[in-house]
Amino acid sequence: MDIYLPIAEVSVNAPLLVALGLAVGFVSGMFGIGGGFLMTPMLVFLGIPPAVAVASMSNHVAASSMSSVIAYGRRRAVDVRMGAVLAAGGIVGAFLGVELFRLLRLLGQADLVVAVSYLLFLSVIGGLMLIESLGAILRRRRGEPQPARRDRRPPWLYGLPLKMRFPRSRLYISVIPPLLLGAFVGVLSAIMGVGGGFILVPAMVYVLRMPAGVVVGTSLLQIIITTALIGVLQAGRNQTVDVVLATLLLVGGIVGAQYGARASARFRAEELRAVLALIVLLVGLRMGLGLFIAPDEPFILMQGAAG
Amino acid sequence: MAVDAPPAAISAALTETTVQVSSDFRGARIVLYGAVFEPQGAASDVVIIVRGPEQPVRIARKMRVAGLWLNSRPVVFRGAPGFYMAASNRPLDDIANFGVLRRLGAGIDHLPISAPAEQRVETRYGVRNVVVSSLGADYYDWRRAVVRLKEKAGLYDEDERGVRFVDRGLFRAEIALPAGAPTGVYRADILLFQDGRPASRRVRTLTVEKVGLERTLYLWAHNRPWSYGLASMAFALAAGWAASAAFRRD
Repeated sequence: MDIYLPIAEVSVNAPLLVALGLAVGFVSGMFGIGGGFLMTPMLVFLGIPPAVAVASMSNHVAASSMSSVIAYGRRRAVDVRMGAVLAAGGIVGAFLGVELFRLLRLLGQADLVVAVSYLLFLSVIGGLMLIESLGAILRRRRGEPQPARRDRRPPWLYGLPLKMRFPRSRLYISVIPPLLLGAFVGVLSAIMGVGGGFILVPAMVYVLRMPAGVVVGTSLLQIIITTALIGVLQAGRNQTVDVVLATLLLVGGIVGAQYGARASARFRAEELRAVLALIVLLVGLRMGLGLFIAPDEPFILMQGAAG
Repeated sequence: MAVDAPPAAISAALTETTVQVSSDFRGARIVLYGAVFEPQGAASDVVIIVRGPEQPVRIARKMRVAGLWLNSRPVVFRGAPGFYMAASNRPLDDIANFGVLRRLGAGIDHLPISAPAEQRVETRYGVRNVVVSSLGADYYDWRRAVVRLKEKAGLYDEDERGVRFVDRGLFRAEIALPAGAPTGVYRADILLFQDGRPASRRVRTLTVEKVGLERTLYLWAHNRPWSYGLASMAFALAAGWAASAAFRRD
């Protein structure tokens, strides 16, 4: 059953999109990630114009983050104050990112920047995660104790001005690092069509040193606010949000996420991380592959007059 | 008497004059049929040219820079129809000469598309004000690439056997619109050729339009983009909220 997407102006197989939403939703529920980094490349691969895929994903990511943040909120696993500071940065990043993406499209370089960002960020994050999780698996096999988490916080976090108390995270740090982190993730989110959890979560754990219990819930809060703004800006500035596409993905995504979350209980955390690291790494390398291989067709048509 | 005989004429009609793009649109095939009135029995050829609304083409070339394949600056071709089809009962080159075909824009090679030779003025070899087109000698590579990519998308087509005579003077042809065909008014020129010149012409129009929900959403997104953006985001957040309520496990 094919369905014509009004904004993307292509005809796609609707059950296939729902199935894709289910699969990515399952993965995202299992690993506690947004899954945008998996979904956006798949959509482009299915023939949806990259600009529409990236923009429509903001709606999808906002909706799926919304469906999980409530559960975290009920468990009081959200640091609202930290989330607000991150989101304040995210708002600035969203404006910058949408304008940057618009400029890149006009220059015809949007797909290049998307490919480079995927290659760079996914392979670095995936590689680091893989090393870390394989180390943890090996240590457990050998029966060695896991290294204690260093609780010493980096001094530069404390040297900066504008300190603020974050009682739920038990932190008293400058607001500059979370603001910058939020802004950076906001820009990436607008350009790559992702929520940015794959950068946000490690940065909150290893740089901001937030307690593990509140990291995911807080990152979801930042992601919802940032992607909600990006979705509106993309629609307003670029007219690239396809609500039919976002809705189809959502149907599968929400159901898939529930089953993924249940399935995750059966596996060890470090094994899950190792599998996720492999997926991240493969997607990053696949997206970057086109940069190194001589193309069969040296010319590419840009979508319409606006790119 | 040859003088009194009515002139040769052509007549044609489309099976559909409106193509509706709704949610199940996967492209359309429209049959064009017509008749040639030729009292003299002289040899006649039929050429059909269908043009969609004009759609500027932006095209970039991948170039190797420091080991990486990057996009060049895009070049815009103007005058390119969003859809183009030329069909005839035998090869166009056998029907009429180059000049006639060029003037009518019959055949992909004769499409009047051109890049605005991004001209700039430079100083070269010590001579000032030399106009350089950034495309230069590669121009035909670019033009061929536009045609090749459009053909691949099913938007440009040239079929030298596309017009079939089903009976004496009665012919038919098919217009295959892909799902990606642009919306707007299409113009079909049905030409009768005799001795290499167009002897009679009929023009038919075809409208491709979005209907129903597709149309509503498309117009909303393009005419009131901010309210569309706010509404679609509100819908997404509400759906997320509803889902978490539905799957709540306490």
